Amino acid sequence: MTPPEAPLPEALAAPDPDRRSVLRAAGASLALATAAGCDWAPAEFGSPLYAPARGLGGPAQSYATVLELDGIGRGVLVRVLNGHAIKIEGNPRHPGSLGATDVFLESAVLGLHDPARSRRLRQRGQVVRDPALLAAWLAEQRAALAAQGGAGLRILTGPVSSPTQRRLIAAVLAAWPGARWHVHAPLADAAAAEGARLAFGAALVPRPDLSTTRCLLALGADPLGPGPAQLALARGWAEARAAGRQAGRLPALLVAESTPSLTGSKADRLLVLPPWEIEALARGIAAELGVAAAAGATHPEAATLAASLRAAGPEACVLAGRGQGVAVHALAHAINAALGAAVPYLEDPTEAAAGTLAELVAEADAVTHLLVLDANPVFDAPADLDVAGLLRRVPHSLHAGPQVDETALAAGWHLPLRHPLESWGDSLAFDGTAALRQPVTRPLVEAAVSVEELLSALAGPRADGQALVRETWRAAWGEAGFEERWRAALEAGVVPDSAAPAGVPVLRDDFTLPPPMPAPATPVAIFAPDPHLWDGRFASEAWLQELPRQLGSLAWGNAVLMAPADARAAGLAEGAEVELRLADRVLRAPVLVTPGQAPGVVTLPLGGGRRAAGGVPGGIGMDAYRLRQVASPWMAAGLSLRATGGAGWAERGADFTLAGDPRVRRLTPGEAVPPLPPPRSLYPDWQYTGHAWGMAIDLDTCIGCNACVVACQAENNTPVVGPEEAGRGRAMHWLRVDRVVSGSAEAPQVDFQPVPCMHCEKAPCEVVCPVNATVHDHEGLNLMIYPRCIGTRTCSNNCPYKVRRFNWAGYARQAGAVPVHNPNVPVRPRGVIEKCTYCQHRIKGAQDTARQEGRALRDGDIVTACQNACPTRAIHFGDINDPTSDVSRAKAEGRNYALLGNLDTRPRTTYLARLVS
Amino acid sequence: MTSAVIAEFDSQDALVAALRAARDAGWRRMDAYAPYPVPEAAKLLGATGARVAWIAIGAGLFGAVLAYATQYWLSVHNYPLNVGGRPLHALPAFLPATTIVAILWAAAGALIGMLALNRLPRLNHPVFAAPGFGRASEDRFFLCLFAGDPGLDAREALYLLRRQKPLSLAELPA
Amino acid sequence: MSSVEFSTRPVSDQPLRGDFGWRFAAGVAGAGLLTLMLAYAVVALLLRGTALWGTNIPFVWGFDLINYIWWIGIANAASLFAVVLVLRRHGLRTSVNRFAEAAALAAVAAAAIYPILHLGRPWLFYWTVPYPATFEVWPNFRSTLVWDFWGIMSHVVVTGLFWYTGLIPDLATMRDRAVAKGRMVQAQIYGLLALGWRGSVRHWARHQAAYRLVAALVLPMLVSAQTIVALEFATTLVPEWHQARLPLHVVATGIPSGLGVVLALAALLRGGLGLTRYIDDEDMHLLGKLTAAAALLCGYVYAEALLVALLEDATTRQAMAARAFGAYAALYWGGAALVVGLPQLLWFRRARIKARWAVPIGLGAAAGVWLDRFSLVAGGLVRDHLPSTAPLYAPTMPEWTLLLGSVGLFALLMLAFARFVPVVSMFEMRHEESEADVP
Repeated sequence: MTPPEAPLPEALAAPDPDRRSVLRAAGASLALATAAGCDWAPAEFGSPLYAPARGLGGPAQSYATVLELDGIGRGVLVRVLNGHAIKIEGNPRHPGSLGATDVFLESAVLGLHDPARSRRLRQRGQVVRDPALLAAWLAEQRAALAAQGGAGLRILTGPVSSPTQRRLIAAVLAAWPGARWHVHAPLADAAAAEGARLAFGAALVPRPDLSTTRCLLALGADPLGPGPAQLALARGWAEARAAGRQAGRLPALLVAESTPSLTGSKADRLLVLPPWEIEALARGIAAELGVAAAAGATHPEAATLAASLRAAGPEACVLAGRGQGVAVHALAHAINAALGAAVPYLEDPTEAAAGTLAELVAEADAVTHLLVLDANPVFDAPADLDVAGLLRRVPHSLHAGPQVDETALAAGWHLPLRHPLESWGDSLAFDGTAALRQPVTRPLVEAAVSVEELLSALAGPRADGQALVRETWRAAWGEAGFEERWRAALEAGVVPDSAAPAGVPVLRDDFTLPPPMPAPATPVAIFAPDPHLWDGRFASEAWLQELPRQLGSLAWGNAVLMAPADARAAGLAEGAEVELRLADRVLRAPVLVTPGQAPGVVTLPLGGGRRAAGGVPGGIGMDAYRLRQVASPWMAAGLSLRATGGAGWAERGADFTLAGDPRVRRLTPGEAVPPLPPPRSLYPDWQYTGHAWGMAIDLDTCIGCNACVVACQAENNTPVVGPEEAGRGRAMHWLRVDRVVSGSAEAPQVDFQPVPCMHCEKAPCEVVCPVNATVHDHEGLNLMIYPRCIGTRTCSNNCPYKVRRFNWAGYARQAGAVPVHNPNVPVRPRGVIEKCTYCQHRIKGAQDTARQEGRALRDGDIVTACQNACPTRAIHFGDINDPTSDVSRAKAEGRNYALLGNLDTRPRTTYLARLVS
Repeated sequence: MTSAVIAEFDSQDALVAALRAARDAGWRRMDAYAPYPVPEAAKLLGATGARVAWIAIGAGLFGAVLAYATQYWLSVHNYPLNVGGRPLHALPAFLPATTIVAILWAAAGALIGMLALNRLPRLNHPVFAAPGFGRASEDRFFLCLFAGDPGLDAREALYLLRRQKPLSLAELPA
Repeated sequence: MSSVEFSTRPVSDQPLRGDFGWRFAAGVAGAGLLTLMLAYAVVALLLRGTALWGTNIPFVWGFDLINYIWWIGIANAASLFAVVLVLRRHGLRTSVNRFAEAAALAAVAAAAIYPILHLGRPWLFYWTVPYPATFEVWPNFRSTLVWDFWGIMSHVVVTGLFWYTGLIPDLATMRDRAVAKGRMVQAQIYGLLALGWRGSVRHWARHQAAYRLVAALVLPMLVSAQTIVALEFATTLVPEWHQARLPLHVVATGIPSGLGVVLALAALLRGGLGLTRYIDDEDMHLLGKLTAAAALLCGYVYAEALLVALLEDATTRQAMAARAFGAYAALYWGGAALVVGLPQLLWFRRARIKARWAVPIGLGAAAGVWLDRFSLVAGGLVRDHLPSTAPLYAPTMPEWTLLLGSVGLFALLMLAFARFVPVVSMFEMRHEESEADVP
C-alpha cells in the first residue's frame, strides 16, 4: 500500500469548517487505527526475537515493552493480534505502571497507526523521494564535521533516560569533542532542581512511597495528576487510603494550590492560594516545624497544617510542585528533613550534563550543524527564543520526529522517526528501574529510523537498533549469562533490581532561603501542562483531543482558567473570548470559569494551538507558549485581560444539584449508606442462577484521571466524532467521568464519578425499545444488539443515567476513519445506539478459556478494560452471585449505594461512597 | 321483453307515496333511488343497517382477540426474552395495542361489510340505462319495479307507476 | 314538498372547472415547491443521516417528534371535530365535515412521515411490524413505540376509510355531472371511485349505519391514538414527562390547533372558492366559538400543570420550573399565549367572519401548539435526573426544510382535495335542506 502523502505545507492553512473534511484530516488518527491495510504481520521477524509476556494471565500474544513520557519509561504490555498492535495495557511488574495505564499510554497505539505520521524524507518541508539524497548529505556532513572535530555540531533532544541513547550521545561527543548536547524539556522545572541544590547540594528528586504516607502536604504539587510517576504515586495513595479505611484512620491529604488539580480534588484539606501565598504558607509551616532558615515566618493556616504533619512524623511527606518558586521546593525538602520523614530521594533519571535550549539559541552563530531528535522546539519553546530563526540561520539542520510538526517544517532536513512500538530501545522508570523496549509490530513506515540508529549513524556506520541496545546491556551485565538475562528482561518487561539507589538525604548545614516572593500585581498568568495534550506532543491523538478535560468537560480545544470572582469582575461569562496581553504578546482564548482557581491567577494550559500536528487541523485551542518567556516559564506577572465580545463555545445544558439523594455520597469512617426501602412490585423478579455480572466503583479512590475512558475507547472501537460533532454533544464515549462540584466557588469539593452502563436489572431502556434490540441475557447483562437496532433513540430518553450513545453519522466507517479496529468488538454502523457492554467480549473470552482449560471461571479471570487501566484500582468487576468475589465483597461494604437508587432501576453498577474525615 | 320499469319523481314525498303504493300492490322486487338517505323509503323497503353493526362488533372482537393472542403467544411462547426484567406476560402493556387494533378491525369491518352487503363495487347496473338516471345523484328520485314475481310483470308496473304521476317512465331491458 | 330546490351544482361543478385561475396555480406551485424541498430533505437525510439535525444526547428527539406530535394533534382534532358533528347530526357537519376530514387525512399523511424519518435507519421501519423476520425476533409489544405504530396505522386506515366512505355518494354525483357535461375521462375516473354507487335507498340505509358507526369508533380511536403518543413521553423516567396529566394535556391542546386549522381553511375556502352560501356565517360563528372555548379549556390544563407541580416532589417541581422558566421558557409561554390567549379574540363577531382575522387566529393557535410541543420535547429534558453538559437542542436548516416541506405536503394535499373533490358534502347538504323543509 502506498501511504497517503501528508499534506504539507498546506497543513498550516486555516481549517476547513466542513465537518467531513475535518474528520478526513483529523481522521488521520480518528478511530482506532489498526489499519489492517497498513500493518504487516511480523512474519519474517520470527518468534525468537519476540518474548511474549509469561505468567501474567494475559492473552497469549502480549508483548512487554516500555513507553516514555518526558523521557521516563512506563512499562506496558501490548496486545497483538495477527501482528497488529491492538491495545496497550499496563505491565504489573514495572514500577512506573504497576499494571495500570494513563491516557498517554492508552493512546500510543493510535499514534502508531496514525495515517498522518511522517512517512517521507523532507527537505525544507518538501517531500524527497530518494533516500540516497539524505545518505549522501549525511556522509558529506560527517566528513565536514570530522574535519573540524565536530565543532559547530549541536544535538538537541528532549529529556533522555535511555542508557543506550545516553551511551550513543556520549560516544558522539567523545568522537567529536567540538560537539555539544542540549536538552529541551518544555515542562522541566529548573526551580525544582535549584531548590534541591539549595537543600541538599544536589539536584535530587523525592520519590515518596505514598502507600506508607499518613500525611501528605502538596504545595502546588499534583502527585495524583498526569505525569511520569502518576501511576505509582496514585497506587500508593490508594493503598494508603484503603489501609486507612480498614483501620478507621484515614491518611490526610493536605493541598495548597492555585489552580485545580486531581490531587486537590481528593484533598482532605484544600487551600486555594496564589503562588506567593503558597510560599508564605510553606515558610510558615517550616517556621512552625523549626526550620531555622524560615524562622519568624507566619501564616494563618500554618499552625494546623504543621500540627498534622508533626503528628504523622516520619510518615509525613511534603511535595512541592511544578511551577513553584525555588524557595517552596527548598522548604518542602527542609520540612521533610525537619520531620525526619522517610522520603527517599534519588537523582533524576533524565538529569544530564547538557546545555539548555536558551544556551543553544544564545550561541547560534557558532552552530553549523543542528540535529533535533524527537523534540519540537519551534512549537514548544518560550516565545522569546526564536528557534525557527535559529533553524533558518544554521546552515545544516536535521530534524528527526514522528510527525511532520512545526520543527520538521522549519528544519533543513526532516527524517521520520520510528514509533516506540516499532523499535528497539531502553528506558528508565521514575525510580531508575530499567526496561527494554522491543518492537511489537513490523515498522509501518519504511523510511523511518529510530533515535538510536540515527545516533549510531552519526559517528560511525549505522547499526541495527537491537544490536545497539544489546551492546549497552552487554556492557552492563557482562558476557556471562547475558542471553538468559536479556530474555528474562524482555519477558518481564523490566530489568530486575535495576532501580537507582535512593536514600534520605541530609539537609545542608548552610541551608538558606532566597528572599520571600513579593505579592505581584494581579492578575498573574501561570502556565500548566494540558492534562491530555501534555506539552503539545499529543495534540495529534484524536482520542486525547476528544477526551473531555476533568475541568469543565472541555474537548477539542482549551481555555484559560479563571476564578469565578475574577470572571465576574471582568464581566466574562463562561465560554466568552478574552484577549490576554503579556509583554506585548497577545493571545485570544475562551474563558473557563473554574471553581477552585485562586483569585488573581489565570491558568494558561500549554500544548494547544498546534499549527502542524499530524493530521489534526491547525488552531485547535490556543497556544499559550506564545506568551511564555524564558525568564518566567511558570508564572508571569503583568498580564492584562480584555473581553473581546466573541464567544468561544455555545450555551450548554444546565448544571444543577440533585433534588433527591446526592449522586456522590460522602460518609465519615464507620458510617454506612442507609438501605433503600425494599422495592414493591406486583411482578416476580427474574432469577439469575448462574453468573451475574456486576461492578462496583470506589469513589473514594477514583482520582478522575480519565485512563478508563480512553481504555474503553481503545478496547471497544468507540469512534472519534471530531470537534464539531463533539461540540454538538455527540461524543461517543461509553464511559464518562462526571465531575461533581459542591461547596463554594472558592473552596469547592470536587468528586469524580465514572459512569458506565448501569446494567439495571429493571432496565428502563429495554422496555421502550420497539424492536427488542436491547434485552437482558441470562447473566443479567443489558445487551445491545446493533444489527437489530433501528435507531429510535427512545432507549436513551428512558435511561436516567444517559449512558447510551447514538451514531448520528457513520462515525466509525466514514471516509477518513481508519477501517480496522479491535477485531473482538463490532464496528457500529450509522443510525444505531451503542453503550457499555461490561466488555462482554472479555467475559465470553474468559469463559471460553476456562472451558478449554476444563476449570471453573475464577474471580479475577475477567478484567474489563476500564478496570485494567485504573491506576488506583477503583473499579471492581465480577460475579455478584459469588459472595467471595472481589466485587461482592466491595458491594457488601456499608459504603455501597446505587446511583438514583430511588428510581428502582436496580443497577448492577454501584458506587462506594467517598469517605471524609 | 322488459323486466323492469323505472319511474322518475322530483320529490322525496312523491317517491315515498309511489313506494307505498307499490308495496301495497304486493311488489317486493323493487328499489328506490335517491340523492340522499330517505329513511322513510328505507323502512318501506325493509332495509336496515343492523347487519352492518353486527359485522362491526364481530370484526372488532376478532381483532381484539387476535391482537392480544398474538402479543401473548409471541412474547411468552414463541420467543421469550428478558426485557428489562419485566414479566413475559405484560398484561397492561398489551392492552393499548389490543384496543386500537380492535377499533381498526371494527371500523374496517363496518365499512367493508357495508360495501359487501350493498354488493358494491358494481360498476354496471340495469338502472343506469334509465334515461336521466344521472340526476338520481343530484335532485331526482327513482322507483324501479322489477318483474319476476308471479302476477307482477312490466305491464302491471307501468300501470301502477303511471298513476303516481312520475316525471318520466321508462322500461328497462333485463 | 321536499323536492331538491337547493342545488349543489356550484359545489359539484368546482372540480369540473377547466381553469382554477392563477391564484390556485400559484398555490399549487408554492406548495409543490415546498413538497420538492421535502423530497430534497428526505433524500439528504437518507444519505447523510440524523447527524444533519441539532439533536444530541440527551436531546435525542427534536423536530422529528415535535412536528410529529403537532401534525398528529391537528389530525386528531380535525377528525374529532368531524365525527362529533356527524354523531350529533349537527347542521355544521354538512359544510365543514368534508374538509375537516380531508385536513385530518392530509395532516396524518404529513405526520406519518416523521416516525419513519426520525429513525436512525429509516429503511428498517417495518421491523416494528410483527412479521416472521430472518432474525426470528418479534417486536417488543411492551414498547410505546409499537403501540404507536398500531395507533398511526389505525389512524391512517380508519380516517381514510371514513373519509372515502362519506365521499362515495358525492363521487357518484361527480360521475353523473361529468357525464352530463360530456367529460368522459373524468366521468370514468369518478365512476370507478364511486364504485357504482347508484343511490339505492337500501344502500343508503347501510351506508348511514356504517358511517355513523365508524364515526363512533373514530372517537375512542383518536383518544387512544393521541394518548399513546403522549404515553411515549409519559412512560419514560424523564421527570417532566413522567406525568399522568400528559395525555390530557396533549389531547386537550390538540383541539384548538385542529379547530384553528379547520377554521382557517373554512375561511379560506369560503373566500377562495366562493362557497359563502354553503359555509355560511352561522357555521363560522359556531366554529369560532368552539375554538375559543377549547382554548379556554387549555387554559385550565396549563394552570393545572403549574399548580400541581407545586405539590409534586422536588425533582418534578424543578423539572417543571426548568421547562417553564429555563432555557426554553419563551417557547412554553409563547405556546400558552397562542393556544389559550389568541383564540379568545374569536369571541368577537368580526374575528369569526372575516378571513383576515380568522385565518391568522386559527393558524396562530396551531403555531402555539407547535411551540408547546417544542417546549415539551426539548424543554422537558432540560432538567433530567442527572445534569448534562451537552449543548441545548436547536433545530438546523435541514430540520426546518423538513418542517416546511411537510407543510407543503399538507397544502398540496389540501389543494388537490379542493381541486378534485367536492369540498362540502353534497348529499348531506341535500339531506339537511330536505329535513329543513319539513314543517
